[in-house]
Amino acid sequence: MDFPSCLRPTLFMTGPLGLSDVPDTSFMCSWRDALTLPESLPQSSKNGVPHLAKGLLWEPDTPGPLPLLPPGPDPWDPGLTAQDLLFRGAPKFRRQPQAVLDVTEQFSRFLWDHGDIAFASLGKLMLENFKLEGARSYSKKKTVVSVKRILEDLGGHQPWGQVASEKGWGGCPWAYFSHRQRRFSILGDPILGKSVSNLLGELLYEELAMRWEQLLLDDAFTGGALAWLPGRTSRIRQLVYPAGGALDKLSLLAVRSDYHCALWKVSRQGRPAPLQVLKVEKGATGINLSPHLPGELVVCSRSGAVCLWTPHDGLQQIYKDPETLVFRDPSPWRWADFTAHPRVLTVGDRTGVKIIDTQGPPGCGLLLFRVGAEASCQKGERVLLTQYLGECGPDSLQPTLHLICTQFSLYLMDERLPLVPVLKWDHSLPSAPLLAQLLPPPRPGCARPLLLGGQGGQLQLLHITGEGASTPRLAGPPQSLPSRSDSLSAFPLLEPRSQWQLQERLQAPTIGLAATILSSSSTPVLSLFQLSAAGDVFHQRLHLREDPRPPSDPGPDCHAPTASWSPQATACCRRWLKALLEVPPAPPVWAAPTFSHRRLLSFKEQQKVEGKVPEGLRAAMAQGRLLQQRDLGLLPTAEPPPGPEPGPKDELSERLDAAWEGPMAAWWEQQQDRTSGPGRQPKRHKRRMQLSNTFSSLSGHLDLSGATSPPHSPDWTSPVSRPRSPVTLPSQELTQDLWAQGIPSERQQTLRDYMAKLPLQGNTPESASASLSQTSSTRATPSRQRTLRDGTAELPPHRDTPEGATAPSSQTSSIWATPSRQLVHVLSGSQPHRKKPRMGF
Amino acid sequence: MSDFSEDLLRPAPEDDPAETSVRPRSGMRLPWLQKQVESVATRGKKEKDFAQTTSACLSFIQEALLKHQWQRAAEYMHSYLQILEDSDSNKRQAAPEIIWKLGSEILYYHPKSSVETFNTFHSVLCYEDDYAYSTASQNMFKHSWKTSVNFSALVQTPGVWDPFVKSYVEMLEFYGDQDGAREVLTNYAYDGELNREPHELYLKSKLTFEKCLLNVQISQDYFFFQILYQIVPSHTLMLEFHRLLRKSDKEEHHKLGLEVLFGVLDFAGCTKNLTAWQYLAKYLRQILMGSHLAWVQDEWNSRKNWWPGFHFSSFWAKSDWKEDKALAYEKAFVAGILLGKGCRYFRYISKQDHQDLRKKFKRMKKLVKKHSIVNPGP
Repeated sequence: MDFPSCLRPTLFMTGPLGLSDVPDTSFMCSWRDALTLPESLPQSSKNGVPHLAKGLLWEPDTPGPLPLLPPGPDPWDPGLTAQDLLFRGAPKFRRQPQAVLDVTEQFSRFLWDHGDIAFASLGKLMLENFKLEGARSYSKKKTVVSVKRILEDLGGHQPWGQVASEKGWGGCPWAYFSHRQRRFSILGDPILGKSVSNLLGELLYEELAMRWEQLLLDDAFTGGALAWLPGRTSRIRQLVYPAGGALDKLSLLAVRSDYHCALWKVSRQGRPAPLQVLKVEKGATGINLSPHLPGELVVCSRSGAVCLWTPHDGLQQIYKDPETLVFRDPSPWRWADFTAHPRVLTVGDRTGVKIIDTQGPPGCGLLLFRVGAEASCQKGERVLLTQYLGECGPDSLQPTLHLICTQFSLYLMDERLPLVPVLKWDHSLPSAPLLAQLLPPPRPGCARPLLLGGQGGQLQLLHITGEGASTPRLAGPPQSLPSRSDSLSAFPLLEPRSQWQLQERLQAPTIGLAATILSSSSTPVLSLFQLSAAGDVFHQRLHLREDPRPPSDPGPDCHAPTASWSPQATACCRRWLKALLEVPPAPPVWAAPTFSHRRLLSFKEQQKVEGKVPEGLRAAMAQGRLLQQRDLGLLPTAEPPPGPEPGPKDELSERLDAAWEGPMAAWWEQQQDRTSGPGRQPKRHKRRMQLSNTFSSLSGHLDLSGATSPPHSPDWTSPVSRPRSPVTLPSQELTQDLWAQGIPSERQQTLRDYMAKLPLQGNTPESASASLSQTSSTRATPSRQRTLRDGTAELPPHRDTPEGATAPSSQTSSIWATPSRQLVHVLSGSQPHRKKPRMGF
Repeated sequence: MSDFSEDLLRPAPEDDPAETSVRPRSGMRLPWLQKQVESVATRGKKEKDFAQTTSACLSFIQEALLKHQWQRAAEYMHSYLQILEDSDSNKRQAAPEIIWKLGSEILYYHPKSSVETFNTFHSVLCYEDDYAYSTASQNMFKHSWKTSVNFSALVQTPGVWDPFVKSYVEMLEFYGDQDGAREVLTNYAYDGELNREPHELYLKSKLTFEKCLLNVQISQDYFFFQILYQIVPSHTLMLEFHRLLRKSDKEEHHKLGLEVLFGVLDFAGCTKNLTAWQYLAKYLRQILMGSHLAWVQDEWNSRKNWWPGFHFSSFWAKSDWKEDKALAYEKAFVAGILLGKGCRYFRYISKQDHQDLRKKFKRMKKLVKKHSIVNPGP
């Protein structure tokens, strides 16, 4: 192993982070190498390879990556956004825009949505003050209230009606207080008012803050979850390339989920099979496979423990420190990897990376990287990813290099020269760089590409050179590669709702990255695979363009040529889109509880109401379905397809005409094909027309997704309400199990915490929390897709089956059960609308 | 709102709009936080149009640079210069640095740029009244600039000054000041908190300039090598160190010589070092003949559970035989000594039939039978 002959001059500063927020610029400039290292040039020219090649550029074949696999059969929920979590307004006198976590809103929603849970224990405590049956109270005590009467008093009040009103919590127009209610209020106020909010408020705030931090940085996917195995692609957690001595007859794969680690055996023919699985109680944050010894892994957990693990010898704890390395940081994220010495490991956390000798006395070690002045770190800078880049062989970098990424910069560290990075570069990625892969040189003597992926989907490609005794440095300027959202232009134009769905899908976080270089052809080709949080695998090919022109001779055009979409590429996107739109939208995670409307209905029946409209209304209510136009006896008006109106020819009309000839026309044709295409579709279309012959052209467009999907219910209702049939079980019938499944998983943790603190009696808390923990632990695994699929399989039948439709429901509740986002689109019919804050956090 | 009252009491931070309760509790700064917050926060004063334009322009420049569109970047840069007129003094002060950084980057790669353009750009920027680096880089710039005039002063500053020291030593050597050169190197090697690469430099320079390393008094060199061995046991100079120790008369040096060799071969980057394997094969034979079995066992005990997989697997046997027969031969000998003749590596290699090596193999088998630590010979 050659030792770097000469390091670049650096002022050695020790101590904590720099006080300034301004990054150190001395590392930034490409010409720095040329100016300060005069000896590096003759060295490279000796090899006959221009290492400072200016035009090392990977040209994409298409402007963006293409979907490789059809979208999964399950709907994908993009999850929380900043809009869901933050308070929208701010004091006007603020100089800067202000944002805070919206606890109040979430709190009130929580009480509405899960009142039965929030107040269940209180109900039990106050049981002696309630009389559940019987018309009259035998007791003279004023502290006993008849529940039946109270409910009667409350009858007709639909509290969630107020949620919808924009006016806020103004109060119900019919509200009046009976004596009973007043007594109840006096009785319950001290308990209802404080204990629930005290207990829950704290948990809610904690949960909100945690969700928000997770939204800003989700470290579960550190390292990525995509493996490219010889001969095939696969969607497997934790990308690991066994190399060197570990490349024996069998390849091995290290797999990590939140609470389990596994070693998988991979062969070229068969499917990967798990060899051994390990349960990590505190949660595993990192796993890596030894590049030196087959089947040896290092695993680290949130508790700060680092263990060596071999299937043969089992676990061996080699390091444990619940504290962070350099300064105190609350993050329990830990990482461990190997080094050039098979018995020496790196252990990392947010504040630094340490080298530890597993054979030496426990706890001893040497800091490899410190978030501090030595590396010219900025204020608030933290380690997000560390990776051992070692690999020996010809044309490779030193096997002692480690990559360290922070939210601002990328560092290359040589384990023989700790603390001072041998290379630093500001990546300026607008999201967390959690994925990185060092690739083999595309050609012998070429620099090695280093792929860096942000969680937001951005990709950057750097070239690193530095064989033998020269220090590693960047060869040529870094390059950004197209992200999945760049592929939007390959898709046909859609109506707004679907367009938004597509856009959301393409912008899903990247959770896996795998790349390979095919050097067999004359031009090396970089094949790039990305896995998104929605479960999509996208693929892109780039080919290398080495700029042939000398630096002194400027070419006629210094713009990089732009790629364009081939017909095959757009066809591929079209097919994928078609499959995507066929995926039924996600079922509602929650539906408002309903009060029985039967009593109200029978009351109405007594007053003979005349007229078609009230009758239709009553019929719809009795059947518990959505009120439709046909119920009101209004006939649909035949709408001609929109088209360019012949009119006075001016420039605007001509431009509109031209625009119409483009994608819009294609879109319209596609719509026409959908609704009146050959084969099975016309029949179904006809049948639907018989069932409900009131489709306007608008709802016809909206039914795009349902055109080929199987009917969900024998009773076809409006396509708007169909995909999400309401959960209409009365709230009192919701068993613990049912609510556990109906609750958004992100809320389950809070609920569980809350339940754990509640003074509930009997066996309900156990059963409830048990079912919850099971769900959440499986849900919490990064294998989101698989779990979701399992989750849907386990769902109670009230989701999509006719039972749900026949269960008692009212107009109000079914409207409420239809997610507001959809309603908005039906009503406004345009404008991609950000969904309303979900009833959760 | 969670901490409305707290917000009222706390003075509004002027510089960071994302400085609110939504900042991560860990103190971590996230460059993408502000974008998230801005997507929600609707009230409060927004950035001025000018600031919005310039920040958009900056992101365009960065985007163009990452797409290698130098011309486009240069055009945007032209517009970006107006930030020097920003009424916000903080931004105005930070601007020249950004312009310098991005501008020089563009000029470095732009096909039409030349040294003249670069110089013009530099002088124009220096002319700006507000031209200032941030404190950190300013200090550094001053340091390296001022002290580069005077090597000896620079060398005393904590830091990595390899190229300067090297040039300085070369200069002193050129003028015949050998002692001065030696002093500079020694001072550099032991000064400051980083004493790794100076060691390396010192030793290497010594090798280069004196060219008589192995003949000089062992006590002094031993000291340097000893430290280097402690911190970089994988160093290429460790083989020199081994030779030095082998030639010593002290028995403890002979033992250390074995330790150094094993240490070198522990590293992934050294596994194919033929010289190291040759030295080890030769030295093992020598030591075992000198009946120091305990030394070998000392070294082997800590390695016996991982060296077989690391060096002597059948995978490596095949691959080494294919790539480097001499290496395979040396390794097979060592494997035979350490693991016995039943070990996979030894068996695989000794079964190979190769004309040139036939004699060698015969001798190897004989030696292994005699010296293997698994079955100690009679």
